[in-house]
Amino acid sequence: MSTVVERFPAGGPVTVEDLLAALRSAPTDGPLTVGDERVVEFLVAFARRLLRPAVARRHPELASLGFFLRRGELARVRDRVAETPGELRFPRGLVFHVPPANVDTIFVYSWALAALAGNSNVVRISSRSAGAADAVLDALNETLADAHPALRETQRMVTYGRDDAVTAALSVAADLRVIWGGDGSVTDLRRHPLAPHARDVTFPDRSSFTVIGVAGWLAASEAERDAAALGLYNDAYWFDQAACSSPRAVYWIGPAADAATAQADLRARLRAVLDGKRPEVDAAMAVQKRVATYGLAVEGTATGIRFDGNDLATVELTGPGDIPRRWLGVGTFPQARVDALADLAPVVVRRDQTVTHFGLDAAELTAFARTVAGRGIDRLVPIGTALDFAATWDGYDLMREFTRITTVGVR
Amino acid sequence: MTLFTLGQADREARLLPELVELTEHHRAASPEYARLLAALGHPPGRRYARVADLPWLPVRLFKHHVLKSIPDDEVFTVLTSSGTTGEVSRIYLDKAAASVQQRMLSATMQTVIGGRRLPMLLVDTRALFTKRRSFSARGAGVLGMMNFGRDHTFVLDEQDRPDPEAVRSFLARHGDQPFLIFGFTFMTWLYLYELAREHRLDLSNGILIHSGGWKKLADRAVDNDEFRRRFAQETGLRHIHNFYGMVEQIGLTFLEGPDGGGLYCPDFSDVIVRDPATWREVPVGTPGVVQVISTLPRSYPGHLLLTEDRGVVHGVDDGAWPGKRFSILGRLPRAEARGCSDTFAAAA
Repeated sequence: MSTVVERFPAGGPVTVEDLLAALRSAPTDGPLTVGDERVVEFLVAFARRLLRPAVARRHPELASLGFFLRRGELARVRDRVAETPGELRFPRGLVFHVPPANVDTIFVYSWALAALAGNSNVVRISSRSAGAADAVLDALNETLADAHPALRETQRMVTYGRDDAVTAALSVAADLRVIWGGDGSVTDLRRHPLAPHARDVTFPDRSSFTVIGVAGWLAASEAERDAAALGLYNDAYWFDQAACSSPRAVYWIGPAADAATAQADLRARLRAVLDGKRPEVDAAMAVQKRVATYGLAVEGTATGIRFDGNDLATVELTGPGDIPRRWLGVGTFPQARVDALADLAPVVVRRDQTVTHFGLDAAELTAFARTVAGRGIDRLVPIGTALDFAATWDGYDLMREFTRITTVGVR
Repeated sequence: MTLFTLGQADREARLLPELVELTEHHRAASPEYARLLAALGHPPGRRYARVADLPWLPVRLFKHHVLKSIPDDEVFTVLTSSGTTGEVSRIYLDKAAASVQQRMLSATMQTVIGGRRLPMLLVDTRALFTKRRSFSARGAGVLGMMNFGRDHTFVLDEQDRPDPEAVRSFLARHGDQPFLIFGFTFMTWLYLYELAREHRLDLSNGILIHSGGWKKLADRAVDNDEFRRRFAQETGLRHIHNFYGMVEQIGLTFLEGPDGGGLYCPDFSDVIVRDPATWREVPVGTPGVVQVISTLPRSYPGHLLLTEDRGVVHGVDDGAWPGKRFSILGRLPRAEARGCSDTFAAAA
């Protein structure tokens, strides 16, 4: 008999059969609905715990999560699936989430939206989870004490080892499966069949980059440029530049001479940010960055490598098509220049997720998105907001994915 | 004849022009290396005042890229390193390099074992060669060293159990004259030392050559001094030489001096210990990351390599042999190569 360990609500080992049986019985005061007040109350109370100074100081990424779960935000998200005449919205049923191990808060976003949509959820938590993930589980369990019993009855976060039988049982029971993970993990999980009516929402490996308009940069005020340098720092240095939406290259849009001026300006400002923040780059990471950047030169994709300390490396790319999408180490910025944003369109591939931007206007960005036409790139957002989670992610409107529609027609 | 003769000033003066010449040679022969030098701002003809100013390569580069300075049809052999992560270095040798490799390794070892093949005790198991699955860096290392001895006797039997009878019989035949002992440091301690102490074996005519580091012995509080002291006290073994080398540095073996005061550099080589924050050379006594320097690599650009080992220089021209006297302190941790949302299922 295959067992899992319940982490939320905190419990002990339980067989997967018992877990599923418990989730099938009707919760106190009736099934959850889309935007159920019992869930909203719980999420708001949970968010308040995350925003406590003691938590936010230790795990700044949990403060972002806390802001995302404020009452006003939840209402806005709920409005996305508001009912219209003749179209009723219902939860999908049971959602099985398999989040990544290395960005340890993303499972909360995925779960919270699915719960807000009224679903029962089973979230697989990595047995290697630590730090922020453990702080999240503690906060969830503390919140449960004063919560409506329906939360305890419908929501589960569990840990289990390499046990295909558990994954198979949860997959076949699910109405929707949400898979975050490397391409290999997604393919591996797909070996386990779903019920015929069920489907997957997948979030495989992605990569992201930054675009900066040279004219826009040079025209910006000192304060705006300092803020952009700080924004780039937040985007890149959190999660060691290894999150899917962490920018892994910088493209400059504009004429060469001005671009050189703008590049030097950004590098100096980022250097100043780093001198204040002092991110830790240990010897192993410093060696990793040398290996990765020297390798780009060996391959012929880089013509210049410059280290301003171990925490800041810039690499001149041979051409805009040579964007290195693999992880190079924290604080490594390959860069290239193109005359116009449209010149980047041929470079874009399906894998590309987030474009953070500065010094470009909405018309330019929209025109670029239309040129790319959905072949890649799911979001274009201002520099400094790369890691802000949104209810539309990787091109999915998550609240729509997490609900189903019943139409009512009358003559 | 010995390879450990040059004081530090003479060594620098001799190495610098040879290393500059090698850098130009590799630039001309390897387009990949030439591109890297250009990207790092080392144009042809640049002047260098000190060996420390020359551009170095991180050794792991040889695990990800083909870097060689010989045409494909002159590749005589490809050396590969062991890798715990499945990554291996590939080091390309032509005939000349392969011959240099053997010659210099022999010359270095002869410094401490003399020119004759001595009877040889191997602190390992013959199963290294009979069980293919376990043929590893350990096997390759043992095999390489076997050339320096004769009458090879293994301390462990096929089931990895100490074999006191084999050792006793070896000592009965050869124990009254110089004999060679080779093993990895932790095996030598765990098996030979314990066995010799328990059975009161006399190893006083032995010459022990060992390598591999102290990490596996750290929980037993055995360091180099303790290792030497206890061997001398309990078994009479006093001729002990630790060594340090890597596949990416062909023919180069840093060898511990007779008094155990640290590792020394053969005349064609040197080490520089660098501060991992600034990459500048650190003063004597300050730990840092070890760069190894050798004039031997002509078939691949490995003459100036930054290792992933931590080390410290204890002194310069103040020991049993001239030049720098240093120790290896251990490996740097490895920064994990990461995808953006990796490995939940795979790593569970």
